[in-house]
Amino acid sequence: MKRGLKHDFSLIAIMLIPIGVGLNVAIAQLVQILRLPIWLDAIGTIVAAMVAGPWVGLVTGGSTNLVKSIFTPTELPFALSSMAIGFTVGMLSKKGMFKNFGKTIVSCLIVTVIAVLISTPIIVWVYGGISGSSASAMTAVLLASGQRLVQAVITSMGLLELIDKSTSVILAYIIVNKMSDRYLSKHNYTQSFIKSNKKSKVA
Amino acid sequence: MEKKNVILSLYPTTKLLMILLIAVSVFIIPSYLYAYAMFLVCLVIAAMGNVTKEFANLTIKGLFSLCILIFVLQSFFYPGTHVLWEWGFLAIKQEGIHFGLTLTSKVIAVGSSLILFFRITPVKDFVYSLEVMGLSPKATYVVLSTLTIIPEMKKSSQVIMDAQKTRGVETEGSLMVRLKALLPMITPLVLSSVASTEERAMALEARAFTVNKRKTSIYSIEKTGRDSFIRVLLLVLLILLIVWRVAL
Repeated sequence: MKRGLKHDFSLIAIMLIPIGVGLNVAIAQLVQILRLPIWLDAIGTIVAAMVAGPWVGLVTGGSTNLVKSIFTPTELPFALSSMAIGFTVGMLSKKGMFKNFGKTIVSCLIVTVIAVLISTPIIVWVYGGISGSSASAMTAVLLASGQRLVQAVITSMGLLELIDKSTSVILAYIIVNKMSDRYLSKHNYTQSFIKSNKKSKVA
Repeated sequence: MEKKNVILSLYPTTKLLMILLIAVSVFIIPSYLYAYAMFLVCLVIAAMGNVTKEFANLTIKGLFSLCILIFVLQSFFYPGTHVLWEWGFLAIKQEGIHFGLTLTSKVIAVGSSLILFFRITPVKDFVYSLEVMGLSPKATYVVLSTLTIIPEMKKSSQVIMDAQKTRGVETEGSLMVRLKALLPMITPLVLSSVASTEERAMALEARAFTVNKRKTSIYSIEKTGRDSFIRVLLLVLLILLIVWRVAL
C-alpha cells in the first residue's frame, strides 16, 4: 500500500478530518460534564492519526485549534502542539507501535514527551508561563517555591500531560481496536489493528 | 440590509488584511498603551459592523479572565528588584507589572482582532475567497463540514450520555466512578461518527467530488472599488507605522 503525503489524503481519510475535530470538541465537553480533572481534547486527533497516518493527524490537530480559536483565540498558538501530537501518533502507528498494549504504553510516553516539548516554549514565550489551564495553578505554586519559570512549566505540564495524553492514547487504542475490519481495511495505516491479521499471526 | 453595512460588505480578504495589520502593528509598536488602543479600535470596528454585543461577550469570557490571571501571576512571580507591595512570600514587583501589562496587551490585541474577524466575516465567505485564490475544494469541504459537524456531535454526545444513564452507567459520584463512565460514553460516539464517514465519502463520490476539473460555485461575492481603496489605505498605514517605529 502506498503511503506518504500524496497518498494519505484519500477521500475517506479526508472525511475523517472533520470527524476528528468534532470528536475533540465533543469529548472535551463530555469530560467537562463529567467533571474530570483532565482535558482529553485530542482523542479525535489521535484516532484519526492512528487510522489515517501522520499527515491526516497533523491536519486534524491543526484544524481543531483553528476552529477553537474562532471562539477562544488563545488556543491558536497551541495548534503547533496539536499538529505535533497528530503527526507523532501517525508515525508511531506507521511503525506498528500500537500492535499490543505494551507498545501502546511506550507510545503514550513518546506522545507525552513531544506534547510537553512543543507546549512548553509556547506557554513560556506567548503567555509568560501562565496559559490559564489547570496546569497554571501548579506552575504558580512551583514559581512561588522558588523554581525557575521553564522548569516550573515543564514540571507542571509534564505531570498533567502524562496523565492526559496517556488516557487519550489508551482510550483511542481501545476504540480503534473495536472498529470493524471492513472499515479499517479502507485506511492506509491500520494493518496493526485489523483482527484477521492478528489471528493469522497467532496461528 | 447586510450588504449595506460599511464593514460587513467588504471582501473577506480585505477584512483579513485589516485584522492582520492590527495584529502585526502590535509587534511593530512595542508600547502597551498602543496595544490596548488597538483593542479599542477593534471595538469601534465591531460597533460599525453591528456585532458589538457578541464581540464584547467573547472577549470578556475568553480573553479578559485569562489576561487578568496572567497579569496577577506575572506581577507576583516575575523576577525583579523594585518591590511595590509585600505580604509574606508574595511581593508585587514593578518589573512584573510592566511585563504583565506588555504581555496581556499583546494577547488582548491579537486575540480580540481574531475574534473580531470571525464576527464580521462569515466562515463561508472567508473560505470562498480562499478557494478563489486557489485553495483546494477538499480543504473547503473540511472547513465547512467541520463547522456543521461540531454542534451535531455535541448533540449526539448528549443523547448517548442520556442513553447510557438510563442503562445504568453512573455519571455522578467519586472520581473513579466518573472515570469509569468515560469509555461507555466515548466509544459509541467515536464508532458511530467514524462509520458515518463511509456514507459521506460515497455520497460525495457520487457527486463527482474527486474529479480534477475546475468547480463552479453557486455562491459568489464580488470585490468592489472600496476594497481596493481600503487595501491602499492599509498599506499606507503599515508604512507609516514602520516609519514611526524607525524614527522613534
